Amino acid sequence: MAEKGDRSRLSKKLKFSAKAAQFLEEEVDYAVDIQESRHEREREANKRDFTKLELKPDHVNRPLWACADGRIFLETFSPLYKQAYDFLIAIAEPVCRPESMHEYNLTPHSLYAAVSVGLETETIVNVLNKLSKTKLPKEMVDFIYASTANYGKVKMVLKKNRYFIESPFPEVLKTLLKDDVISRARISSEEHQGGEAFSISKTQGEVDAHGGLLDGAELAAAAEEKETHSFEIDPAQVENVKQRCLPNALNYPMLEEYDFRNDTVNPDLNMELKPQAQPRPYQEKSLSKMFGNGRARSGIIVLPCGAGKSLVGVSAACRIKKSCLCLATNAVSVDQWAFQFKLWSTIRDDQICRFTSDNKEKFRGNAGVVVTTYNMVAFGGKRSEDSEKIIEEIRNREWGLLLMDEVHVVPAHMFRKVISITKSHCKLGLTATLVREDELITDLNFLIGPKLYEANWLDLVKGGFIANVQCAEVWCPMTKEFFAEYLKRENSKKKQALYVMNPNKFRACEFLIRFHEQQRGDKIIVFADNLFALTAYAKKLRKPMIYGATSHQERTRILQAFKHSPDVNTIFLSKVGDNSIDIPEANVIIQISSHAGSRRQEAQRLGRILRAKGRLQDRMAGGKEEYNAFFYSLVSTDTQEMYYSTKRQQFLIDQGYSFKVITSLPPPDTGPDLSYHQLDEQLDLLSKVLNAGDDVVGLEQLEEDADDIALQKARRSVGSMSALSGASGMVYMEYSTGHGKKPAQVQTKPKPKDPSKRHILFKKRFG
Amino acid sequence: MPQVRIVAKNFMDMVAALPAMKLDKLYESTFICEAVLRYLPPLAKKYALQMLFIESPVTAKSMEEWVLPEALSKHRVATDRLLQLRVFLEIGDRKKEASYKMNPTFQRSMQKYLVQGGTLPREPMPLSVTNRLPTLEDLEAYANKQWECFLLQLINSSQAERLTNFSTSMIKVFQRGILSSRENEAPRLTENGFQFLLMDTNAQLWYIIREYITSSEDRGVDPTDLISFLLELSFHTLGEAYSMNSLTDVQSKAIKDLADLGLVKLQQGRKESWFIPTKLVTNLSVSLSDSSSRKQGFVMVETNFRIYAYSTLKLHSEILKLFSRIEYQLPNLIVGAITKESLYAAFENGITAEQIISFLKQNAHPRVAERVPAVPENVTDQIRLWETDRNRIEMILSHLYEDFPSKEVFEAASDYARELGGLLWEDSKKMRLIVNGELHQQMRDFLRRPK
Repeated sequence: MAEKGDRSRLSKKLKFSAKAAQFLEEEVDYAVDIQESRHEREREANKRDFTKLELKPDHVNRPLWACADGRIFLETFSPLYKQAYDFLIAIAEPVCRPESMHEYNLTPHSLYAAVSVGLETETIVNVLNKLSKTKLPKEMVDFIYASTANYGKVKMVLKKNRYFIESPFPEVLKTLLKDDVISRARISSEEHQGGEAFSISKTQGEVDAHGGLLDGAELAAAAEEKETHSFEIDPAQVENVKQRCLPNALNYPMLEEYDFRNDTVNPDLNMELKPQAQPRPYQEKSLSKMFGNGRARSGIIVLPCGAGKSLVGVSAACRIKKSCLCLATNAVSVDQWAFQFKLWSTIRDDQICRFTSDNKEKFRGNAGVVVTTYNMVAFGGKRSEDSEKIIEEIRNREWGLLLMDEVHVVPAHMFRKVISITKSHCKLGLTATLVREDELITDLNFLIGPKLYEANWLDLVKGGFIANVQCAEVWCPMTKEFFAEYLKRENSKKKQALYVMNPNKFRACEFLIRFHEQQRGDKIIVFADNLFALTAYAKKLRKPMIYGATSHQERTRILQAFKHSPDVNTIFLSKVGDNSIDIPEANVIIQISSHAGSRRQEAQRLGRILRAKGRLQDRMAGGKEEYNAFFYSLVSTDTQEMYYSTKRQQFLIDQGYSFKVITSLPPPDTGPDLSYHQLDEQLDLLSKVLNAGDDVVGLEQLEEDADDIALQKARRSVGSMSALSGASGMVYMEYSTGHGKKPAQVQTKPKPKDPSKRHILFKKRFG
Repeated sequence: MPQVRIVAKNFMDMVAALPAMKLDKLYESTFICEAVLRYLPPLAKKYALQMLFIESPVTAKSMEEWVLPEALSKHRVATDRLLQLRVFLEIGDRKKEASYKMNPTFQRSMQKYLVQGGTLPREPMPLSVTNRLPTLEDLEAYANKQWECFLLQLINSSQAERLTNFSTSMIKVFQRGILSSRENEAPRLTENGFQFLLMDTNAQLWYIIREYITSSEDRGVDPTDLISFLLELSFHTLGEAYSMNSLTDVQSKAIKDLADLGLVKLQQGRKESWFIPTKLVTNLSVSLSDSSSRKQGFVMVETNFRIYAYSTLKLHSEILKLFSRIEYQLPNLIVGAITKESLYAAFENGITAEQIISFLKQNAHPRVAERVPAVPENVTDQIRLWETDRNRIEMILSHLYEDFPSKEVFEAASDYARELGGLLWEDSKKMRLIVNGELHQQMRDFLRRPK
């Protein structure tokens, strides 16, 4: 109780210093939660009663309800589900998508996205009305009209390295120029000193050759534009201008389109998809959203990890056939992207180059693909001469496609920098999870573009495209001694280390590794954010580990061994493994510690095992294997972890995953088979935890991880600075191998269990 | 005499529970007799008819010979039931074996009924007088609406659109056992109340009617009159109009109450007024097991703890509100979420996890009902886990002993408490003990004992 009180007081303080609080995601979340729930309770009574809506007589046949506040409910068992889903995902944000009923929210951003992919206001209202069981609430119709009235009128075009704002409506441009930010950003050319005049150009009315791909609505969107008015703006101000145009300001969100077929200035890059690269239906669909009107739209495509995002990226580059800059989060992932390009496309080796701190390949020819990291581009300090040259090259080139991987991990300021440095006609962001705890995610809407497509996880699972994962939360009771220390005030900085090193958790982890290695022959990844725990676990269990300070060569070597060696079936990863490291062999994840309440991390980690394995027909609904991947999250009961765990799972739960609670691991009969069976061993472990320095037992900090860059600052401000370098995890450890030698003194038996609550896996063995 | 004391589960149980005098009086009405006969178990029905014209007692032993040995249990059930209802009377000679004879009143009435046929005390009114009778659908909707309205008022919901004409004291009687009314506290639904809400309409109706009848004496009404009137009503034709003029004073008072419950609909013509029996009353005397024509379920629970209930009834949203947070109310859908807080509130009110789970299972929407399990396992697990979470602390009334004069006394006392098995905690440094409160007297005696 005292604990809770402290927290809420802390969060209250934080509310006042909103800026500082922004970084402290855990605390902020907490405060927000309290606020939200109170708010919700107040609103609940009056605002969400929509019983007065009029049901249509044939409502049974229609798939959805629409509420005045923008919430939409969709029955997934409706015969119209597929059509309704495709439509809703284009116009609304999915809130949750479990088995039978989906929920969506209509937001200005989502409508902006809808308009950008060519849907017209009338079409949106009509289709929605057709699908709705009730008459559409007037508020919703008004909202759609109000939100979309201005949409699609202004375009941002990059021509010959200069940015222009275009619109067929001069009065709209005038409105825009009344804004300070935009008028200051304007570059007036000499011939138009008056300031009021725009350059007028004639553009061809677009007749789309690929009309067959488009439905009526999209055709209508590619309306004829005879005369276009435009003015030029300062490239450095592009992001500010775009932001001013968003719904919360001037409300003329700009579309970014690239007419790559008619681009004669930039040289073509000769590459095609190889014949064996067969995009799956949802990959095809996401590409069709991007290239819907024959031009390339900027935006974000959201696909679960393992669903083949890289093929979508490579396909997009192959369609545009111009130079492509591909940004990834780290060096390993750069290698993987370069590999993917070579795997799926006919690109020549000399047309693709990697640019990392270890690998500075030079760009040859007049068009090509460069794969690099966000850090390399955004780096502000002094560079080596080679790097400077390459960066210069990147800066000066007009890129046909800027391909950005894992857009959700990169913070807004980094994006701004990258985007202002590089000039690209079209930006494509790829991600699996459009959630962040600090809500910087909304920035992506104008930094890159609207969300073009988002796949439904459960549908992909049913289709056998991604693995069907059994998620489980394993409750490990704290041992008495650890819990006593946990509750002590002087150990407040060691709380995490204490609940992660809880001997019962260790035993559960050891049991699971054994079970999966020996009984099923699985490949296992164990995740721990806490470096102290990572090293302690890995050394005790004698398994290889990778963390921030592990060199590139070492990482590659361990990953190779994990892929190919039958002796290496388990690896321990710190959060370097959260993103982008492609480990297709793994199908079991055991998470022993994690980053507070980060929903994204949970989803990303799950993503490591989503790549479907085995034969397709076994994986499909009703196939041989019910579950082919396992995700265990180990939590120590009665600690902060329980609270975080609930929060973390929210994203996956919203995608339709369910977490089964297991309270009986390891089984009580395992006794001394597992480590830390004896009390003295446990006490020994406890003293190690308590004697380690506060900085050693904290979180690992990584440069690449944006959430944590933010977090670092916050740590500093609250005075619990964790170790910045990965090397701080190097602790001299003694192996304790003495179990079984002394007579048992006190047996710490896990709680007796109810057989009906036993995990499906273990029922057979112990039932 | 039958061994089991009956809890009135249906009309016949209620009839059986009446005092012998009153029951005999009831049997003067041929309708009661017919109704009773109709709801007897098949074998009992046969016995009753078999004995109808036999006036002398038949020994229990010879009756047992009527059936094969393996059907003896059915025979017992039948005779027990007949005795409970006083259709048969036991003529007991303690020493000799028992024999049975038919209740003469019942016998007379039934014989008369067989010979002369029975007529209701009132006939449906001709259509010419009542040319605007509601259709059967309208009538059913009316009945359901009335009933819902009554239930909402019963559970003190703010959602009740209008109140029934029942007096506050009458409502209080109904609420007895459903709501707890601790002083200075808003009445809350009890565990029984929750179960009540989860019952099907017929069972609920039964509960209320039972309360209505048993409390009638306080209102100066003979319960027998009410029972016979209700039984009579169940013989009326659904949807026909019956004149109010044919009712006695007691009956015309009762009919207004029954209208409030939705059992009948009252209508006023130019000169006359009449009542129309609804489905609720014609089904009234059907026993519970017969009526369990399963209603279609309406609730879908998702793995993310969200509840979607296909229902237009405010009552359903009131029920869901007991253990979940209602988020949206649509014309034919209620959207809610099961949260830790909402469940804790439910547990606080004495509702158990099992009750909630069984409610969700029993009312599962057909779309998910065929799925196994109908309610996602992670949700049911979590509901149970949250419940057990609350039960981790055990309260033991106990006493703290401190300020011991010396270490010896302290140790003697703590040893004594340990011997008694009541030592809960001790701190030998500060010389303090906590001992189970049940042992306080013994502890006191021990401490006062001269050393």
